[in-house]
Amino acid sequence: MSESLTFMMGDFAAEFPMDRLYAKNHMWAIRMENEVVRFGFSAYAVRLLQDIYFLEFDIEESALLKDRQEFGNIESKKAESGLYAPMKGKVVKINEQLLNDPSGINVDKYGEGWLMEIQGDSSEMLSPAQYLEHLAKAWDVAQRTIKGQANTIESNEE
Amino acid sequence: MVSANNGSSVSNSLLVVVSQGQSRSPEKRSLEDAIATIAASLPNTTSLVVPHLYDLDADSQSVIKLREWTGPIVILSWLFDRAGFWVLDRHEIRGQHGEVQLLNTDIANEDDDEEDEGEDEKAADRVANIMVRPSRRIYSIDMRAGNSADVFAAEFRRILECEQLDAPKKDLLSLDRFLNPTNSTALSMDGSGRLDGSGRLDGNSASPASHGSPLGIVPLRMDEHPQRRWYPVIDYSRCTNCMECIDFCLFGVYGVDRGETILVEQPDNCRKGCPACSRVCPENAIMFPQHKTPAIAGAPVDAGGFKIDLSKLFGAPERDEDPAEAAARERNEQLILAGRAAVDFNPASTELVAGGTAVATVESVSTKPDRKPDELDSLLDQLDSLDL
Repeated sequence: MSESLTFMMGDFAAEFPMDRLYAKNHMWAIRMENEVVRFGFSAYAVRLLQDIYFLEFDIEESALLKDRQEFGNIESKKAESGLYAPMKGKVVKINEQLLNDPSGINVDKYGEGWLMEIQGDSSEMLSPAQYLEHLAKAWDVAQRTIKGQANTIESNEE
Repeated sequence: MVSANNGSSVSNSLLVVVSQGQSRSPEKRSLEDAIATIAASLPNTTSLVVPHLYDLDADSQSVIKLREWTGPIVILSWLFDRAGFWVLDRHEIRGQHGEVQLLNTDIANEDDDEEDEGEDEKAADRVANIMVRPSRRIYSIDMRAGNSADVFAAEFRRILECEQLDAPKKDLLSLDRFLNPTNSTALSMDGSGRLDGSGRLDGNSASPASHGSPLGIVPLRMDEHPQRRWYPVIDYSRCTNCMECIDFCLFGVYGVDRGETILVEQPDNCRKGCPACSRVCPENAIMFPQHKTPAIAGAPVDAGGFKIDLSKLFGAPERDEDPAEAAARERNEQLILAGRAAVDFNPASTELVAGGTAVATVESVSTKPDRKPDELDSLLDQLDSLDL
C-alpha cells in the first residue's frame, strides 16, 4: 500500500493511505471514471465498530441519494449504526459480497472491503491531511459520545 | 432426565424451532446450535432449525413444515418475542400466546405497560378477538434473553410441564410420519440431520424432512437460503382494522381478505428500510422486526438495544420531528427512490397526528436504556482499551 498518515485513537494507530480522499463521515473515497467514486470505511470507523457481523443496504443500484441520506445499517460486536450517504449522487454499484460476509470490511477495509460506488460531485471530499484535522475534532466528540452513552447505561443500572 | 427423545404424536409433543440469525456473530451461531441440540434431547420434543424466520417465503420448505405441526410450538428467534409470534401468524402458523418466563429484558412488561390499561375496554375491537386463533400454544422466545443453552433448556422443561408433556409418551407413529413423510419427493438427510434440499422457494419442490438417525436425537435442519426481505408484520392483538395503514401506504403493500380484515398482501412491494406506516398506526400494531428502533421492531415497553449507537458519528442528520413528520418524510424518500413524485404532508391531517401521538408515547418510554450488566462490562472494557 502507498504511504499513509497516522492518527492515534488512544493507543491505537489508525492508518490512512494517501492514495485517496476521505468523507467527513469516515469513509474513504477513490475517484474512478465518469465521476464515479468508490467508498469504504476508514480505519477510524472500523476501529470504532470493531468486528462487523451484519450489514444491510436499504437501497438498490441506480438509487439517487441525497447527501447524508440513510441507505442501510451496520452492526458489529459492540456497536450499531445507520449508514449515511457520504455525498449526493447515483448509486452505481453495491458490494453485495459484504451481505454474506461483512467481516470483509475488517479483513481488507481499504481494498476488497469497499462498500459502494456513487456517481456525483465529489468536490467536497477531504484530502488525507484535511481528514486528519477533521479527525482531531471528531475524536473528541466520539469520546464524549461513547462515554455519554456508557454513562447513561451506568446510571440506569443503578 | 432421559437422554433420548421418546417420541409421541405430533399434536401431543412439543416442537422447538430455532430461527437462525442473519448475523455472522460466532456467539449467536454457537448459541443457536447449543439450543437446538439441547432441545432435541428433551422428552416429547422435536427440534427444528430454520433460516431467519422473517426472510422465509410463504412457500418455503420451512414454512410448509411448520404448518404441518398441530401441537404446541416454541419459536426462538433473534427478534422480539412479539415479532416472532406474529411472523408465524402471518404464515398461518397460529395459536395462542404461550406465556414465556425467559425474557430479553429484566424489566417485565406487565406492570408498567401503560398501553395495556385501556386494552380491556377496547378488547372487543381487536382483530385477534374477532378472528380467534387455534387453542394450541405458541411460545415465542427472543434468543437475546439468555446466553447459555441451559437457561433455554430450563424454560423448555417448564413449558413441557405446562403442556403436561414432561412424562415420556409412546405414540411413535405420528411423529415418524412428520419426520418421514411418504412423499415421493421427500428429501434425504445426512447423519447430522441436515436436509439436502434445493432451497428453492416454489411450493412443488418443498417437502418435509425424512430422518436418517434415531428419532429426534439430533435437530432437524432446513437447509434453504432465503433472500433478505423487508415488510410490515401486524400484531392482530392490537390491530383494530382501522385502515390507517392501507390509506397511508402508497406502494400497495396492504390489502384486505374476504372478511375485510387488513392484511399485508404484497409484502415484497414494501420499501426496504421504510417503517413509515408503523409510525401512523394508532394502535402501534405494525412491526418492522428488523428496524433498529426497538419500539418499531416490536420491543416490549422499556426494552432497549444492548449496543452503542454510532449513527451520530457516522453522519446521521440531526432531526427534530414528530412521528407523523418522520413518516411523511420517509414515505417521500421512498417515493423519490422509486422514481415517483413526493406527496404533500398536511400536519393538520387527523389520522397522522393521532397515530403520531400513539407512537411517540411508546418511543419515549422504550428508548430508556435497559442494558445487561455483562454487556456494560464488556463495553467499559472496550472504552478502557480506547484510553478515554
